[in-house]
Amino acid sequence: MNKLLFSILFVGISIFMVSCGDDDSQQKDPGVIEIEFDNIALVNGVQRQLSLVTPGSADYNYTNGMGQDFNINLLRYYISNIKLEGPNGEVFEDHVHVEASGTEGIYLVDESDLSTGVITLNDVPAGEYNKITFTVGVEENGVQEGAAGGNLDPATCNMFWNWNSGYIAVKFEGQSPVSAGGTSGSETLDANNQKGILYHIGGWRDVDGTAFVYNNKTLSFDFDTNARVENGQQPHVHMVFDVLTLFNGVNMIDFTGNNNVHKPVDGVPAAENIPGAFAFDHIHQ
Amino acid sequence: MERIILIIALGVLFFTSCQKDDDSPKTSLYELKRPDYFPEIAYPIEKNPITQEGFELGKKLFNDARLSLDNSVACSNCHVKGVAFTDPQHNPSVGIFDQTGTRNAPMIANMAFQSEFLWDGGVSHLDFVSVFAIENEKEMGEELGHVVQKLNDISEYPSLFKNAFPEIDTITSPYMLQAIAQYMLLLVSDNAKYDRVQRGEDSFSTQEMEGLQIFEQKCANCHSGALFKNGEFMNNGLDSVFTDVGRELISAQESDLGKFKVPSLRNVMLTSPYMHDGRFKSIEEVMEHYRSGVKPSNSLAIELNNNGQLGIPLTDEEIEKLILFLETLTDYEFISNPIF
Repeated sequence: MNKLLFSILFVGISIFMVSCGDDDSQQKDPGVIEIEFDNIALVNGVQRQLSLVTPGSADYNYTNGMGQDFNINLLRYYISNIKLEGPNGEVFEDHVHVEASGTEGIYLVDESDLSTGVITLNDVPAGEYNKITFTVGVEENGVQEGAAGGNLDPATCNMFWNWNSGYIAVKFEGQSPVSAGGTSGSETLDANNQKGILYHIGGWRDVDGTAFVYNNKTLSFDFDTNARVENGQQPHVHMVFDVLTLFNGVNMIDFTGNNNVHKPVDGVPAAENIPGAFAFDHIHQ
Repeated sequence: MERIILIIALGVLFFTSCQKDDDSPKTSLYELKRPDYFPEIAYPIEKNPITQEGFELGKKLFNDARLSLDNSVACSNCHVKGVAFTDPQHNPSVGIFDQTGTRNAPMIANMAFQSEFLWDGGVSHLDFVSVFAIENEKEMGEELGHVVQKLNDISEYPSLFKNAFPEIDTITSPYMLQAIAQYMLLLVSDNAKYDRVQRGEDSFSTQEMEGLQIFEQKCANCHSGALFKNGEFMNNGLDSVFTDVGRELISAQESDLGKFKVPSLRNVMLTSPYMHDGRFKSIEEVMEHYRSGVKPSNSLAIELNNNGQLGIPLTDEEIEKLILFLETLTDYEFISNPIF
């Protein structure tokens, strides 16, 4: 009786497995898609490539929404939890994996190294994609796993807050002649620099019923055309981040006060400008 | 009758020796064990399994002053084993260039069972606790990246790391932090008289028992459970005006102004000075604070305000008995454990 039951089960499972295999072989091989984050300054509707200045430079090449001149020494941010979706139900989630040996699925875009702006996603199921979702910042799944290597290595990322353990989402450093001064904790400027404008925007604790300040932003954008992923095709999705909107978005940032931002609550006004600073631009198929 | 006793004694001997043979000392000594009356282990131990090599590397790092900017301050400067890894010398503790900090060095014990660290709970994972101390400009004042570079250049460290973490060729910060965490994870204090009573191996004296009853009635709301802490942040009435905002720095919640983590009372008779800023030198001063020194403020713990009567009513005799009970929380095996 038992033998019979086993035989039936065995045959059944074999058929099931073979039929599954058949389905798989009809599917196209997974492919690669690149997501590029290009930092820009949107001046009078025209996209301009960002230019960083040497820390301390008196060359002020940008102006915020309040007419205050400024320049940029450093711009760096985390992109994580990338998800792609398509019109026919395609879904690809780039899983976050955090180990001492390295970090997957969390990317650090640094304007001083343009190659960091290009994120290559491998093993994306073949199909069409027309929507991207990602988080600006590092969520609980990147913090509560403990000490991590790669992009999250606290010794090398220059994005870790040791007193309030977690990662800065967006780090901006520059100078403005109208600055109220104060550059404690700057990566690029001396502590006695009087013109610093530092915006270290972070805060990952997202707990219902508490007042923890959560400054990470999860954003979704539709593409204007479908990106087609298949063997031999490597679509390139071009996203932009406009630094001017960081200071001139839903909130006007005034460099004459609260210009030395190092804790979550102080970073809220600039953090609320982050969603408007990102935009989908175009796709190269 | 004598023969029966002899047989039993031999049996016990045999059994004991068998147990020793079965448990290789390596695995048992370096395994994190949770007494069944302790809270659950909060640390994700599967991410960083403890080994003898990892633990001993962590211990070496904990005692190495080269982790500080001027090579003068090790973790163990302010966390001294003989007093349950607190600082008996200085109040507050002294960091590089003889700077004093603003907060009292807390006990390092039973870290495996906790998920919020520092007096304000700003650190939420044990791995990151040491980053705070290393980078704090008044403590060890060093950049984590520079510490890693120093370790790679000190001839003995690369091979010690390789032994502890065979997958690596170059030392990086996460492995250093994991090694120090392995050391701290095994610092479990569970062998005080209180624990022996819990296990049925000992019993309280009459006065200790009376002390326990007073403790349960007047202290255990906040100093609760096997760790004698409730995991919360509270204002125990030290001040009405706060020079240190405490938990509010992390939570950005005004109602948390002047609140600090309720500390464990294990080994409390060893861990003077007391309070987040180390303002009280003796346990008697602490008792007197709760009896007559509690100051009003909006965030004062409700347990210390009985319809406008601030503090906890305590007689001298009750204080004496409380202290006798607190002495049963001293874990002499913990502070003299040769592997720590």
